[in-house]
Amino acid sequence: MANILLTTRCNRSCPYCFAKSEMAGAAPDSRMSWENLIYVADFLERSGRQRVSLLGGEPTLHPDCVDFILHLLHRRFRVRVFTNGVLSPERLEEFRAHLASADVEQLNFVCNLNDPEQTPAPAEELDRVREFLAVMGPWTVAGFNIYRPDFSLDFIFDAVNRFGMKRRLRAGIAHPVPGQSAGFIRPEQLREILDRLFSFRPQFDAFRVQLSFDCGFPICKVTDEQLGWLRRSGGEAHFGCGPAMDIAPDMSVYYCFPLAGYRRRSLFEFDSVQQVEEHFAALRKQLASEVPGIYAECDGCRQREDGVCAGGGLCRAVNRLVREAPIRLSEIEDELAHLRLPV
Amino acid sequence: MNLPIFVCPFDPTLLRRFTGAAVVVRVDRPARVADAVAAAEDSGNALFCVILDSACPLDQIEFGDDLKDTPLAVRAPSLGKFRNLVRHLDRLKRLDLRVHLPCDRAGNITGLRILSSVGLRGCAVIGNGKTDWEALADLMTYAVLEPVPHASIEPFATIAARYDPQACLDWGGVQFEDPSRFLHMDRQGRIALSRRELEESKFIAQDLSELSGQAQHPAVRERLDAGRRMFAENHPCASCAGWKVCLGKFAATAAEDRGCEALFAEMIAAALQRQAAKSCDPEPKPWPP
Repeated sequence: MANILLTTRCNRSCPYCFAKSEMAGAAPDSRMSWENLIYVADFLERSGRQRVSLLGGEPTLHPDCVDFILHLLHRRFRVRVFTNGVLSPERLEEFRAHLASADVEQLNFVCNLNDPEQTPAPAEELDRVREFLAVMGPWTVAGFNIYRPDFSLDFIFDAVNRFGMKRRLRAGIAHPVPGQSAGFIRPEQLREILDRLFSFRPQFDAFRVQLSFDCGFPICKVTDEQLGWLRRSGGEAHFGCGPAMDIAPDMSVYYCFPLAGYRRRSLFEFDSVQQVEEHFAALRKQLASEVPGIYAECDGCRQREDGVCAGGGLCRAVNRLVREAPIRLSEIEDELAHLRLPV
Repeated sequence: MNLPIFVCPFDPTLLRRFTGAAVVVRVDRPARVADAVAAAEDSGNALFCVILDSACPLDQIEFGDDLKDTPLAVRAPSLGKFRNLVRHLDRLKRLDLRVHLPCDRAGNITGLRILSSVGLRGCAVIGNGKTDWEALADLMTYAVLEPVPHASIEPFATIAARYDPQACLDWGGVQFEDPSRFLHMDRQGRIALSRRELEESKFIAQDLSELSGQAQHPAVRERLDAGRRMFAENHPCASCAGWKVCLGKFAATAAEDRGCEALFAEMIAAALQRQAAKSCDPEPKPWPP
């Protein structure tokens, strides 16, 4: 699935944000144009792909956000919008008027919720999230980014129940941007994080909420019992790693936010999604040959060799290189810079 | 002379003044389209199509399903909001419709691309004011070369389909502005070569009877030959790479702004590229038929 970044602006400042450095480097308030949106939609359609995610910054800040969504829906795309739910009253009214009758199978939102106690926000911001969920709850999956080990999920179960949200929680871990010091979950914390996550099993069962993993979780840190429960409860365990294929307003395309600086190209250089995937598969292969994963044990791990697990995510692996082999990393970056496109 | 197609306002009395001609009837609101169709039939003239001159953006025009068999050209100031338009899209796509948008107005070049991408035929009305030729060239590339199915955008679709390197091509007919095919008539039955000349009361005939008996009216012939004068005058258009598909339509501004040359030169290259690939693709359906 391709991610289209509608705008580089965001109206929240999350401590774990791994898009921040990429957004800061873009022109202020860089926005996706109609022409580029139609180009991307055509590009996906001729590649046989009918799923798309809209991201930001905060995508709902784009003045044409509603129109873009309606355009993609009319063209029979399945659309997912990643939002923080902080919408102005005017924008929320647009959503209510134009999107509140959309097919829930064709349109859904992932609303990234922050724990109001651990990540305090102004009361007005929290009110707006609640207002968004009151209108679009049935279209919305809760998203939660874990950036500290003592997190709680109670507020999410409460929101799912109160606002009639989809009974699914998309749990992600805060990723590092290689070489930068934003808050993120370190490899040695992952077992603790996962144990904490699975400690909420009674609530997941009681509220019939399914758990799904975003990228970056290594399979070796999940016990068989935990994995069994996850499968039985209808959740999704995903241990792979992209490419997410993020398309910026300037039509540059990159692997994912944390790896935005690696082999970034213009979408206009490609003829199909398959070519973009091949391009980034080459990046993944090259980096994985240098650093198989986030742990030393990833080297030779059968799950990784079989493609079941990506060794904790490419950005985390590269971050390991930054710390452990900075000279080799700069050599790799030089080699990557000279690699030619296979198009 | 062989009668051209008359573009006339909706006026049953006017339509009854002649018979056996092909007519394009102009109306100013959708509710009058059905009346225009009936009036053309009652008068014994053949309806070529109806032009709806709307003061409202496209998203605010209410079309009925009863119009689905009527070829309809809608001249609207703009697309309006897509969020409003999308509610009518399925109905609009059932109509035999083409949307004409003036390209001197901000957002309309984008609007034509949006319409095309959702399956509504459009026409870029070029040259009435300041023109963003670069944006038009992008639109042309999309219209002619984008492989994903989308609705045609005139005049690019016509040029791409009919361009012949050995001949000149006048595409003015897609905007009803080709005096060899279309003449414009006012309520008094007076005849002008173009819509603008009609509005400026520059008539070539006071009545239809003045046209009969001649193979081609001298004013029509003179207009069709007007391009040749540019060569004699060494006008910048005479050395333009896009001449064969432009014929000096934008001569008034071409001297100071060569943007039109870039557009039409690119247009020719795109047409050749499209024709080279044509053997694999079905022939685009011409409109009006």
